[in-house]
Amino acid sequence: MKSKKLLSVIVGIMCMVLLAGAVSVYAGEAASDLAAIQDKGVLVVGITDFAPMDYKDENGNWIGFDAELAEAFAEIIGVDVEFQEIDWDNKILELNAGSVDCIWNGMTLTEEVAEAMECTGTYALNAQVVVMKADKLADYADAESMADLSFAVEAGSAGEAVAQEAGFEINSVQNQAAALMEVAAGTSDACVIDKTMADAMTGEGTSYADLGYAVSLSSEEYVVGFRKGSDAAAALDEKIQEWIKDGTMAEISAKYDNAVSIAEARDAAEEAE
Amino acid sequence: MSLLEVNNLKKSFGKNTVLKGVSFSLDKGQTLSVIGPSGGGKTTILRCLNFLEIPDEGTVKVGDEIIFDAAQTARLSDREIRKNRLHFGLVFQDFNLFPQYTALGNIMLAPKLQAASSPEMSREKNIPPERIEEYCLEILDRVGLADKKDHYPHQLSGGQKQRVAIARAMAMNPEILFFDEPTSALDPELTGEVLKVIRRLSEEKMTMIIVTHEMGFAKNVSDQIIFMDNGLIAEQGTPEEVFNHPKNPRTLEFLRGYTGLE
Amino acid sequence: MFANVLSALSIGFLKTLEIFGLTLVGAIPLGLLICLGAMTRIRVVKYVIRFLVWVIRGTPLMLQLLVIYYGPGLIIGDNWWGSGEHGRFIATIVAFIINYACYFSEIFRGGIQSIPVGQQEAGFVLGLTKAQIFFRITLLQVVKRIVPPMSNEIITLVKDTSLSRIIALQELIWAGQSFMKSAGIIWPLFFTGIYYLAFSGILTVVFNRIEKKLEFFRV
Repeated sequence: MKSKKLLSVIVGIMCMVLLAGAVSVYAGEAASDLAAIQDKGVLVVGITDFAPMDYKDENGNWIGFDAELAEAFAEIIGVDVEFQEIDWDNKILELNAGSVDCIWNGMTLTEEVAEAMECTGTYALNAQVVVMKADKLADYADAESMADLSFAVEAGSAGEAVAQEAGFEINSVQNQAAALMEVAAGTSDACVIDKTMADAMTGEGTSYADLGYAVSLSSEEYVVGFRKGSDAAAALDEKIQEWIKDGTMAEISAKYDNAVSIAEARDAAEEAE
Repeated sequence: MSLLEVNNLKKSFGKNTVLKGVSFSLDKGQTLSVIGPSGGGKTTILRCLNFLEIPDEGTVKVGDEIIFDAAQTARLSDREIRKNRLHFGLVFQDFNLFPQYTALGNIMLAPKLQAASSPEMSREKNIPPERIEEYCLEILDRVGLADKKDHYPHQLSGGQKQRVAIARAMAMNPEILFFDEPTSALDPELTGEVLKVIRRLSEEKMTMIIVTHEMGFAKNVSDQIIFMDNGLIAEQGTPEEVFNHPKNPRTLEFLRGYTGLE
Repeated sequence: MFANVLSALSIGFLKTLEIFGLTLVGAIPLGLLICLGAMTRIRVVKYVIRFLVWVIRGTPLMLQLLVIYYGPGLIIGDNWWGSGEHGRFIATIVAFIINYACYFSEIFRGGIQSIPVGQQEAGFVLGLTKAQIFFRITLLQVVKRIVPPMSNEIITLVKDTSLSRIIALQELIWAGQSFMKSAGIIWPLFFTGIYYLAFSGILTVVFNRIEKKLEFFRV
């Protein structure tokens, strides 16, 4: 009996080693990802329901700033576009497993993202803001005054990182919406979320009409992420620079109440580097 | 001529030899009681005869037909085993009634299935399927429970359950009926009704083997007594011989444990 | 607004029902097979099956969903399930069937082994075949014994379907959450509870009926 248990443990360990080995082998592969996407004829874009970047219109079609850009890019490389809602926690898993081709959903460039994905250059700007009950905003004018508040943040998010840096007492929850709910329910005093999200989700006409923000903790950059080593990132980046320069980006942003702050084009010197 | 002849039956479970060579015979219409201490191999004899265990050695003969020969066990198919089993009926210590059938349903189940699936094996060839219910009800009446025919086992007392079990075994019309300690699972006040039924069967010249601890009953009802000890027949004879003049000191010692025996 | 939420939740609930139904349809026969495998005299089969059951019952269903859906793409670099909702749905069904079959198999095994061997022997001495004994004698007794644990497990399945949101399958909870994420409206998420309650309520009634029906005898 004892030897059988031991055997099963050994088998279990072997399975894990095999798995790890296979993953690393796969990560090392470097064929043309762009060609592979063109081959299958569809660009699967991993998104969450995140206005104004990717969200559904009343007919259930995906629209938004990012959604329109993704459609444009798919057309250029000659494939269809397919939007796939994913669990944000699993975005790297989804990319590596090949169930999506890119993450294009107002994704903040963090160290983790840079490490795990092949990213384009910055195409839009964002900030992490502190959302709390609107009637308290006047009492907390800067980060220092918030030391005694409890914070809800999305696990693994940029907001969590800056809140930790600021030394706040934090409670990590599943997503940004849940963080907002914590504040609305009073289980946390405040939350740190994307400015883009805060703009869309708080104020009149939402469940969070009595929430608002005044303080930004950091500014950050939105990028599009592909599988590590993918050549599609560079191809898209080239288009992004074009779209920034020729005003396409600004035009699309205008359709969404200018909620997206477009990044500045990189200058020629930087390009040459 | 003997109806049943058992010759040199041996059976082991792993290292434990339970039957070490048992031989006996039984005439038609006789009642044989098997007595002896627990673990002496009494129950195993019945289980071997019913093919619930396959003996390691020995032969079993019913009439002129050798139904079992250990030297040739490999040749017995499931079907042959089933056919052989129908020579015998077995009444279990703990009844083993089927809980989801009524008293009458328990008795009718096997005759009906037999008539439907393998009529050629049925020992009740002369009973047409539509008469089975009537026939089974008659048998239930013989054990005095016709009025309980629609009762489920959990609605019957222990004694009534065992009487239904006896009727169930009788319904297959076996040549020999076996009882495996039929009253051991019963409260003392309920044993009487079961023993009465068995006694009447004995009077009606049903051929029977009864494994029992009811010494008084065995003495009164049997034509023949076997005393089993340690896997062997230690003593065999008429009730008078075994109970009143035992030759084997082990028999005497065992019988002394039962006071109240005249 | 209420109508919108209701229709979105109902679409999600339909998905939940599909997972529920297909899981039962697949897991009950597979569970029976695994149960037989776990009781077989062939040692190799028995130990392999018991090992599998141990692994499945010993790890969270959520983890199994992740491994089954993402595993093929990560390990062999080929996403078996295809992209899109359909692939996620198939992977979910596969994970649920395997998981629940293992739980069911243990219930079946317990049920079969709890029937006294005397029942079978009583059938044997009456000259019945093994098949006759199983279908006419043992089966109903096993059914009676396993109805209570099976109803527990099946009602748990209703709620477990929500785990499939981990691989972004858009079932009932997902549908409720999507209002929170997109429109900032919280109540639809909590309203999903009504669906779960109603459904498990119906199942409870059904199982009570079955138990009542089997009350005419005792095992």
